[in-house]
Amino acid sequence: MLKIETQQENGHDILLLQGEVDASNSVILDEAITKMVTDGCRSILVDGSGLEYISSAGLGVFMSYLEDFQEKEIDLKIYSLSDRVFEVFRILGLDQLIRIYPDKKTALSS
Amino acid sequence: MIKLPQIHIGKLSLLLAILVWLAMLFVNLVRLFGSINEMNSGIAIEFTWILQTAFYLTVYGFYKYSIAKNTQNDFLNLIWRGASTGIFAVAVYIIIDLFIGSLGESKLARDPFLGIFFHHVRFGLLTIFLISTALLWQHLILYQKTKRVVKQWQAFEITMLIGMFLVFFDRGDYDYPFFFGFALLGILSVILSTNLKWIPYLTFKEKWKSLLFLAIIISCIGYLLWYSFSREFERNYPIILTGYLFLTSLFWFVLVYAVLSFLVTLFNLPTSSVFEQKLTEAINFQRLSQSIKPEENEEQVLDILMDSCMSAAYADAAWLAMSNEEFPDGVIQERFIDRKTRKEVLELIQQQKPAQEWAAEKPTDNLNPISLRINHSKFESVLLVPLVINKSVIGKIVLCKEVRDGFNKEMLNIISTFARQACIAVENHRLLNQAILNERYQEELKIAQRVQKSLLPTKLDHNQSFDICAFSNAADEVGGDYYDTYQLDEDRFVLIIGDVSGKGTSAAFHMSEMKGIFQSLIQLNLSPSDFMVKANSALSRCLERNHFITASIFVINTAKQSICHSRAGHVPTLFHQEKLHKSAFLEIDGLGLGILRNMQYEKHVEEKTFTYQAGDVLLLFTDGIVEAKNEKSQQFGYERIRTLLEVYHELNPLEIQTKIIDSLHAFVGGDRLIDDDYSIMVVKFANQNKDS
Repeated sequence: MLKIETQQENGHDILLLQGEVDASNSVILDEAITKMVTDGCRSILVDGSGLEYISSAGLGVFMSYLEDFQEKEIDLKIYSLSDRVFEVFRILGLDQLIRIYPDKKTALSS
Repeated sequence: MIKLPQIHIGKLSLLLAILVWLAMLFVNLVRLFGSINEMNSGIAIEFTWILQTAFYLTVYGFYKYSIAKNTQNDFLNLIWRGASTGIFAVAVYIIIDLFIGSLGESKLARDPFLGIFFHHVRFGLLTIFLISTALLWQHLILYQKTKRVVKQWQAFEITMLIGMFLVFFDRGDYDYPFFFGFALLGILSVILSTNLKWIPYLTFKEKWKSLLFLAIIISCIGYLLWYSFSREFERNYPIILTGYLFLTSLFWFVLVYAVLSFLVTLFNLPTSSVFEQKLTEAINFQRLSQSIKPEENEEQVLDILMDSCMSAAYADAAWLAMSNEEFPDGVIQERFIDRKTRKEVLELIQQQKPAQEWAAEKPTDNLNPISLRINHSKFESVLLVPLVINKSVIGKIVLCKEVRDGFNKEMLNIISTFARQACIAVENHRLLNQAILNERYQEELKIAQRVQKSLLPTKLDHNQSFDICAFSNAADEVGGDYYDTYQLDEDRFVLIIGDVSGKGTSAAFHMSEMKGIFQSLIQLNLSPSDFMVKANSALSRCLERNHFITASIFVINTAKQSICHSRAGHVPTLFHQEKLHKSAFLEIDGLGLGILRNMQYEKHVEEKTFTYQAGDVLLLFTDGIVEAKNEKSQQFGYERIRTLLEVYHELNPLEIQTKIIDSLHAFVGGDRLIDDDYSIMVVKFANQNKDS
């Protein structure tokens, strides 16, 4: 089960993820991000506090946008990941490519 | 064994009947001769009766056989047979009378022998007509056999048989036994005559024909009855064959049934069209439910449905419009309506509010046909019949009538039943096709599974300094996990384990790419990190944008007892050091393959070299193991597998592998399946000096 909510705050688009991202629902996540990009947002913040699990297919979604964001100069930041989920990002090496912060405050201030 | 020639019962009884008739004629002529010349011929009257009875029985035998053989259920043929026999008998009667009349007052005309001869001819014809007609009636009576009717008929036959022999006791007197027998048979005849169930099955036209034939039969019976009981008696022959209980009762039975059939048929005429309609509906229904065989198509069913609906509603025109995506242009069948009129009517329908509501109605499970009035120059009422398959409306049939409110409740009921049945037939047909297709896919997947299994090595390269085993299991038929080995030279071996993001068929394709890349790059004798850089570069050109592969590669040098290792986003490898009595994950950074698709990747991959001792264990696995969840959604996790290795490190690789897989299954729960691919490879280093 995956629940996605989007919020706008001071020019940042916040993507709230709740539940699990796996092969069956990674498309929904992909659609949500695509929509944000086409809507022309410049800074995407992903709130991962409610994220319980992310599979390789879910990671694939974030990964597929990396070059795109670099080209369009869109900021992507992820924060409040649980240890377990952060570990998944870290093992794959995505923590070196995506900026991941412990909480929203540090994410916004950096 | 001698095979007896088959006795032809029909021919045999016919022959016997003729012989008996001739014998009877001869006996009676002799008796007549005796009585005229006042001398005893020595032949008692009982001979006549015996032969008469024998004649009845043989004629009965003949007709019983020939009717049973020839006409099965064709009522009209049966009745026509009776009518034609009647006409023939009456014609012969009249010809004989004309012949005698033409003789005038000559001596021959009053010759008793000629008179008796003609009397015998008439008797024969009368018997044939009555018995054959009675047997035809039997067929009609027993058309819908029930135990009761069969018993009644048997009782009638037995009573008739007894009646045949009554003559021997009452000697032809019309006395109490005769009247008693006649009353009994008369009542039985009337009871039997109420069995007229064949009549409703006649069509309107057939009913008219059968009325004609029955009228002929009734007139023939009337004529013969009159002739037998007035003319024959007037002639005062010394020998009278007609009369007696048997023939009299037979007359009565044949007449009663003919008259009742005539009347019932007559009164059935006005309602016969309704019965015909119902019968057609029943047949249509059957056609609809049987119509689809796998090789046939749906349009045939819809064709039958159109026909059935039109005939059930007496519709003047109709069309069929399919509305789903399978028929983008809407397969449209038009019956008795042109394109222009159809468009006009459709427009009128769409303007109506009930029709709009009806079209928007949800859920569609119980969508019923709806009838509407329209103001069209030709058609005044329409009926919309929905075709609902699997809860979605795939189309509709529109029936048009030239009269206002032309669709009654009965029609609506039968049409909606037709439509449902047809939809079930179509749905079944689709499901069957789908099942066949699925089966083919299953076969294809099995082949894919076999091919993929063959991509994983069956024999793992190693020498006596280490022992190795591996296992892989896919969540679906095929998976994205990969492991392999390669021997670089005498002392150097390469191990790789990899995991393609996602699972199933797409992962399986990438897994085979990975195998190709490994097997080609590894021959270049690259260092682990160089291998990863090259593999990343190659995979960047092969993988879809949102796919990546994680891998760990190890180059084991058994001469130096060292391991050179690189990791590309793969789950860390466990290493048990015998000396420290401790298992730990190898710490090394590295980005997954296919994530950074440019030269930047070089910065994100490392390489580490460490040494091993005898008894150390290297445990490679994929994330399917650590991410396996139990029913409480807890993950198997890194700590569990680490502890397991610490506990079981002394066992041989295969035992360690089995212990871990068993614990994994126990953790997940006996019946639950692990919903990701998982693989494991266990390497245990042996004491190299053991042999020397």
